[in-house]
Amino acid sequence: MGVIFPTPDGLVTYINQEECPRRFQTCSHLPVAEIFRYGGMVGSVIHAYSTLPRCMDQARELIRQQSKQQLSLASGTMLFAETLTGSKGRFNRAWHAPCGGLWCVLTVFNQWSRRVAGLLPLAAGVAVCETVQQAGVTVQIKWVNDLYSNGLKLAGLLATTHVCPVSGEEYIFLGIGLNVNNTEFPSALADIATSMSSQAGCDFNLVDLALDVLAKLVWNIGLLCWIDEYDKPLALFMDRYRDLCDSVGRRVRFGFNVQESPGYEALVTGVQDDGGLVLRHLKDHVELVEHGGEIEYV
Amino acid sequence: MSQQEVTNYDAVLARFREDPFAYVDIHVMHTGQIRFHVHEGDKVEGLTGDFHHIKGTLLCELTRERNQKPIHCITNGEVSFVNTRFDGQFVQAGEKIMTIRHPLKKREIIEQILRDVLVPFAAPEKAKYYFAMDIQNRIEKFGQRSVSVQEGDELFTMSLMKRDTPVFYTGASGLIHSVYFKPGQSMELGEPLVGICPPEKIVVVEKIITRVKAEWE
Repeated sequence: MGVIFPTPDGLVTYINQEECPRRFQTCSHLPVAEIFRYGGMVGSVIHAYSTLPRCMDQARELIRQQSKQQLSLASGTMLFAETLTGSKGRFNRAWHAPCGGLWCVLTVFNQWSRRVAGLLPLAAGVAVCETVQQAGVTVQIKWVNDLYSNGLKLAGLLATTHVCPVSGEEYIFLGIGLNVNNTEFPSALADIATSMSSQAGCDFNLVDLALDVLAKLVWNIGLLCWIDEYDKPLALFMDRYRDLCDSVGRRVRFGFNVQESPGYEALVTGVQDDGGLVLRHLKDHVELVEHGGEIEYV
Repeated sequence: MSQQEVTNYDAVLARFREDPFAYVDIHVMHTGQIRFHVHEGDKVEGLTGDFHHIKGTLLCELTRERNQKPIHCITNGEVSFVNTRFDGQFVQAGEKIMTIRHPLKKREIIEQILRDVLVPFAAPEKAKYYFAMDIQNRIEKFGQRSVSVQEGDELFTMSLMKRDTPVFYTGASGLIHSVYFKPGQSMELGEPLVGICPPEKIVVVEKIITRVKAEWE
């Protein structure tokens, strides 16, 4: 039996029938149809696999294969896998990816200006958060783009740049790991991770959920493309991010790799339009703005 | 080490003995009206704190379209020059407004001399950096000054808004001699991250370090 995941045609139908009318209602101040066209490359090619070691490794392999034939992998290519056998998070942290979760990677050409490219990881976070929220599960974004539900980690997102060694083309990979119907975790993760199913007490249709994530990626990435093209204010995207992010007002521990080498404790006072986290150092009472690293709620 | 190189570094060391200071010029980054907060001869402080998070002495404020932009000192020392004719006036972006005289430590003198010898590799963007995994493993196993790099090697990972981007080395092959950043520290665009020592210059470099350490009080 083949792996069932969304198709590009199914995505177009879903956007026209479901996502576009929703955005017309909630984003009437924006050119909705134009923004969807700007994000149109997302999900234009979809590969689905039953098992992979890691989606990002497979994306690299597809790029390599294409470049050997002097071709490029289509920007917006999405890779889904039912299970991952070698999944890991940042700094090689453990990530458990059995059947029942949504494991995917989006590959896009790096075509953006610096000011907008920095917000792509946030756009992926907003897209997944919107899908989970729409499914009725309580969820918030912890800066930069991790998703938490009732204090437990629901989804992790990874963003990396890949430069094709043959063609020199630069791709951005946005990796998404969303715990959906998988409810059992290894002991190391049992107390810190959760799934949509555990939170809601029911199972979710994985294909429908994948379709919705894709549609919301089309919108959010399309919005960034449109902002970039017309040099519009970043706040048009960041206001939505700030709605979904619960980091402001929290006491946090900041560090580049906060689990291994925690840095300083601070109070989050804001998130700038360029995504920078504004912190007030608790000991020295000075204001800092961080564009990298991570936080832990204290 | 050739006779000429020995002579050159004798001259360089003599110059540092005569005037053991660095002169840091402060320029305005935007056009605006300027108000000075320091005078010639004032002592000033640079960035402090464990994470360089405490700003230095307020040198002046630039008012641009009713927005005030404070300019803080980036190094410790003494104000050696203030272009006082600019006080209260509009200045063009890029204009030099003052100079800070910074007393050099032994380590800084070595670094300054080495910058003429080593091949610097600069930060391509304002971001946080750490060594690529393979380089980090080799540094941990063999020590930093035993790790060689050549053009095309993945040297760093640049991290910005949780997106990791590989940074490939361009420049002459050599050993990683000096590291100018801490993993995870935010580096400005163009700041040197490492100094690479071409193999033929290792002897010169070691000689410079030994001489400065031995002769500098």
